Amino acid sequence: MLNPISVLTVGLFVAALGLPVDTFAQNSSPGGWLTPDWDKRPITDANRKPAPRRSLAGTWGPAEGPGAGTQAGGVQLKPNNGRPENQLPYTPAGLELYRSHKALEGIDAVLPAQDNDPRNRCEPLGVPRSNHYNIRLTQIFQDEYKVVMLYHYDNRWRVIWTDGRELPKVVEAGVEIAGEVRERRFSGYSVGRWIDDYTFEVQTVGTMPEDRVWLDSTGRPISDQARVTETFRRVDNDTLVWSETISDPKLYARPWDTMKLQLRLHDPRTDIMEYYCSPSEQENYNKLFGNAAGGKGAP
Amino acid sequence: MRSRLVIVLVIAVGLLIPSRLVAHHGSAAFDTGKRVTLKGTVKEWVYSNPHCLLSLDVAGEDGKLVQWIAEGQAPNVIFPVGYRKDSFKAGDQVTVTVEPVKNGRPMGRILQAVLADGKTLGAASSPPSATSAAPQP
Repeated sequence: MLNPISVLTVGLFVAALGLPVDTFAQNSSPGGWLTPDWDKRPITDANRKPAPRRSLAGTWGPAEGPGAGTQAGGVQLKPNNGRPENQLPYTPAGLELYRSHKALEGIDAVLPAQDNDPRNRCEPLGVPRSNHYNIRLTQIFQDEYKVVMLYHYDNRWRVIWTDGRELPKVVEAGVEIAGEVRERRFSGYSVGRWIDDYTFEVQTVGTMPEDRVWLDSTGRPISDQARVTETFRRVDNDTLVWSETISDPKLYARPWDTMKLQLRLHDPRTDIMEYYCSPSEQENYNKLFGNAAGGKGAP
Repeated sequence: MRSRLVIVLVIAVGLLIPSRLVAHHGSAAFDTGKRVTLKGTVKEWVYSNPHCLLSLDVAGEDGKLVQWIAEGQAPNVIFPVGYRKDSFKAGDQVTVTVEPVKNGRPMGRILQAVLADGKTLGAASSPPSATSAAPQP
């Protein structure tokens, strides 16, 4: 009979031989604490590795660089810059709500003294705004039941169930699960399924109402009637494309695409700095800089 | 005595201002395109969310010291640019170029910093993307 420990040892050794050890070898690590590597070589036919089957696991960052996922000026595919091609299909209620939002970014930006962005009170962004706010390094873990996303900003996490459970039905007070009404959530209720071995589709409903959350940093609205469809396509070992479509009949006359963000795989050992929204730090910042910088009048 | 405060007003497009700034105050508070170069003495460097803050004393035209506050983005955002918790120490002589606020107060956001050791760091914000429009697979 084989000794289990020996089998495990040999197995790990063989597995180690098969690892792409050169993939992350260029990443220096002073003291062993790896800093993010934003200067990766482009993926070409010469260094392209095949995508693993049915896996999103990894540490991912925007392929164009650390600033490519911030979406400060509005969702990636529709920046709020006043151009006709970026106008959204608001319903009358959606447009009225947008006009009530006083954002610090975008074509209708106001000074800090006038803004009403819930983010500035450190409110949770919720889904889908989490997808449109400072996407930098996102960690994804998965097991046979779920995919878990760890967002960088404010150290938030989210579960996407893959065990076959059904998406809840949206009802007036929240969602309905097996005849019971359940509460709305900032991250909503998400279920995912593999369309093929390299394409993962996620549906999310049951998110927070429009007086609690925004869609993006320019004040575009999102309601609790929203249905968010995300697609993650693993193009190759090092490339993941994250797309999103919003359907929210309360605020938008038709579904529309918000982003198609290309991500690059990072070294799984990368140490990710904290990026909390701390009310006390926010208050200190406002006292030292924000209030005076955003106020009116000469010194 | 040569003024230690050099103000350079540049009405230009395409300066060193990154196109993907993100801020807790937005961009509306800043006088976009204007630049002020400050030579001064560091009082404090706060390396904290949501923005890092650099306080420095700068001698004005009349010789009086003016305390400027220059901000950078959050630590994790400016780390890739080279800004560290100990990049500035009290008493350091530094040169900092800022985009000032519109309301005339001695405040701005950091576009460039020359540290006490002569090292130059870029805008204290997200580095520009490698490409403006990488092809989407």
